[in-house]
Amino acid sequence: MESAMLADNARVERWTDDAVMANVERISDGPLKAAAVRIDEGYYPLDIMTALGQAGALGVHLDRHGARVGLSVDAMQRASRACGATGFLMWSHDVCGLYMEQSGNPALSGARLDAHAEGRTFGGTALSNPMKAFSGIEPMMLRATRVPGGYRINGTLPWVSHIATGQYCGAIAGVERDDGSVSHEVMFMLDCDERVELRPCPVFSGMEGTSTWGVRLKDYFVGEAQIIADPARPFIARIRPAFILLQVGMALGVSQGAIDSSLEVEPMLGHVNRFLSDRPNELRAELDDAAQQAQRLARTPYDGSKDYLLEVLDVRARGSELALRAAQASLLHQGARGYLMSAAPQRRIRESHFVAIVTPALKHLRFEMARLCKEEFPA
Amino acid sequence: MNTIVSEWKQYICRACGVIYDEEAGDPDSGLAPGTRFADIPDNWECPLCGVQKSDFAPYEPMGAASSEESVAITTRETGVVIVGGGTAGWAVAEALRALDADVPITLVTACEGDRYRKPELSVALSQNKTAQSMIAEAASAAATRLKVRLLRNTFAVGLSPSLYQLRTTSGPVRYTHLVLAQGACPVMPHALPKDLCWRINDLVMWSGVQGALASGPKRIAVIGAGLIGCELAEDFARAGHSVTVLDVNAAPLTGLLPEKASARLLSSWTTAGVRYKARSRVTSITRNHNGERVIQTTNGETLHADLVLSATGLTTEPQLARAAGLRFDNGIVVDSHTLQTSAPDIYALGDCISLDGAPCRFIEPIAGQAEAIAHAVLKRPHPGYQHQPPVLRVKTRSLPILMRGAPSRDLQWEVVDEDEQQLSMAQYRDGAVTASLKVGQRSLELAT
Repeated sequence: MESAMLADNARVERWTDDAVMANVERISDGPLKAAAVRIDEGYYPLDIMTALGQAGALGVHLDRHGARVGLSVDAMQRASRACGATGFLMWSHDVCGLYMEQSGNPALSGARLDAHAEGRTFGGTALSNPMKAFSGIEPMMLRATRVPGGYRINGTLPWVSHIATGQYCGAIAGVERDDGSVSHEVMFMLDCDERVELRPCPVFSGMEGTSTWGVRLKDYFVGEAQIIADPARPFIARIRPAFILLQVGMALGVSQGAIDSSLEVEPMLGHVNRFLSDRPNELRAELDDAAQQAQRLARTPYDGSKDYLLEVLDVRARGSELALRAAQASLLHQGARGYLMSAAPQRRIRESHFVAIVTPALKHLRFEMARLCKEEFPA
Repeated sequence: MNTIVSEWKQYICRACGVIYDEEAGDPDSGLAPGTRFADIPDNWECPLCGVQKSDFAPYEPMGAASSEESVAITTRETGVVIVGGGTAGWAVAEALRALDADVPITLVTACEGDRYRKPELSVALSQNKTAQSMIAEAASAAATRLKVRLLRNTFAVGLSPSLYQLRTTSGPVRYTHLVLAQGACPVMPHALPKDLCWRINDLVMWSGVQGALASGPKRIAVIGAGLIGCELAEDFARAGHSVTVLDVNAAPLTGLLPEKASARLLSSWTTAGVRYKARSRVTSITRNHNGERVIQTTNGETLHADLVLSATGLTTEPQLARAAGLRFDNGIVVDSHTLQTSAPDIYALGDCISLDGAPCRFIEPIAGQAEAIAHAVLKRPHPGYQHQPPVLRVKTRSLPILMRGAPSRDLQWEVVDEDEQQLSMAQYRDGAVTASLKVGQRSLELAT
């Protein structure tokens, strides 16, 4: 058991940029492409996540593996081209690893992170609500009370992805004083053990294989070994650009898959499809431009400047806008074939909607960009 | 490709477009790979849509659109997009519309976009103006008159020159020509917190200050004795407030005026009721429990004020230009005649540009710049913009100051004429006047 928890050094050393991409490509075009419809309908592809983890796709963004955020985005883009839901799982997994490493907590950033980075254990992120809460969009759902040795957490999160019993996710709770007011927030690793009630979610219109659950916590104790950041706000401010930038891989991958679908029917339908707008070559030019922007930004994921964050929000918003247009165009290009229940274009329409509404949603991105651009004046 | 494989044929379903490939067969309906189309039983159905074998036709792939090449769409008639709803932005809209009744124009502005005369901001308080009374034309009225699509309270956040795409907080906008008229914004040194110090660079900011001063005479500290600081300090004093100006230099308008001239301004302030704290660098500004602003300087001095106005200079926000890869050097670099930026079909004018490495943030050049851009965008003949140093009129009413020409720091100012009321000076190069300065005015001229 001890040896199983140690990093497989030999394997990790093989995570060169080229090897990672070659393996991700092989997985994406093979088993992942074949499973895309099943994943959309509800199959949680931990087998594929294991393979992606072994290939390095879930670890290379970490400092310990060279902080190759650009490569991480590329890998996610490649997989999302075949299956948006898997791209989303990769993102959830990636940011969870980011929390663990950046926490500086030895209990999270040691062997536990090695196992996570290699896809031997799995965990996601429950920060949708806190991120919105920090922007003043909605209230914080989890509450923490200080107790000897840690905190006791109560509350319910409506949907958290890439979790299951035995898995984990990063979460944030508002710390209450005795009078019920909130002093600050604490970020912790929520281990989904027997104390955690996972409740089935209503059926979503797509991406059902993301293992998304409602989480109910009742006097859940968080000890030292689970603390990611206390207080949470400075930590979140530091990792927020990387958190958002990594998602761009999912957005661009869904766009690229959609462009593939439009191109696929070009030989038989090109003579009529030329009357459509958002033609594949046009979208590809936009995709290339956005991908270049994302790769440039990925070189400095911890740049704390306002201008940097603004550009990260911009490229993320571009990703959503492009995914929506590309998916819509792919269905129009394919016509009835794309409308079949098993067809990629109709699945990607739903994936692109997810890209545009998952936190940070397109509207929140614009809200946040406007907020950043506004000058501050005395009250 | 060997000959055997090349003989395999493909057939397309004319109903749904599914392709039957002889090489692949259709194992799901019992056709082994390599089953010739001719050998398929007649009752075979399309695996996708269920039509019959007779509905299939031989399929020869046409040349597909290359999957490698990228084509940015630039030819669509999307019109001119202007970023900025200030004097410069509207000047371009006016100039374009004067030349062409139909060219589509979109104006993206971070503010309301109402039109007003910006130089008035530094004299308006003592004239009891309100933000409403200063609006010469509401943005919506100007937009209707000029047939401009107006995107108000919208920030431009991203720009991809190769795609002819501007991204805003109201979504992406396509353009055939883009005009950046985004202006400049006040520089804020670290010691001056934004939530404690006002700045005045547009009508909204002015209106905020006016509101903060509305309840009666206040103690105002103005940080920076440049053009804006000096003009505003006098205006505040004239409006009945107690004003102290702090600057790192020995006299106001250092760098612009020779010592002899700034000394006159300083002595005129004694009568105008403006105090001057020379060689004062602010180290911190805080708010105390009485709500007062407490200003600490490197001289060890502590000042208390009800309102702090920062006037420490202007700068062009580089974010949009930099992210788009436009050349930037103290402002968006433009060609001094065409006003085109380093990217094709993107122009810039006004406070946001730099000409030969230097910004020129005055109202006067804007009309000429807008003219040149409008002609270039509409491909009309035009000699191009000719930059002239603008006549500089400092609206310090206790001591009006007028400067012409191109003053140089390397040249000495020489007195031309001097009496108690007026000082005239000039700079000469090779015997020719290159700049002139008039400080104060004789009582006879006051009548004008």
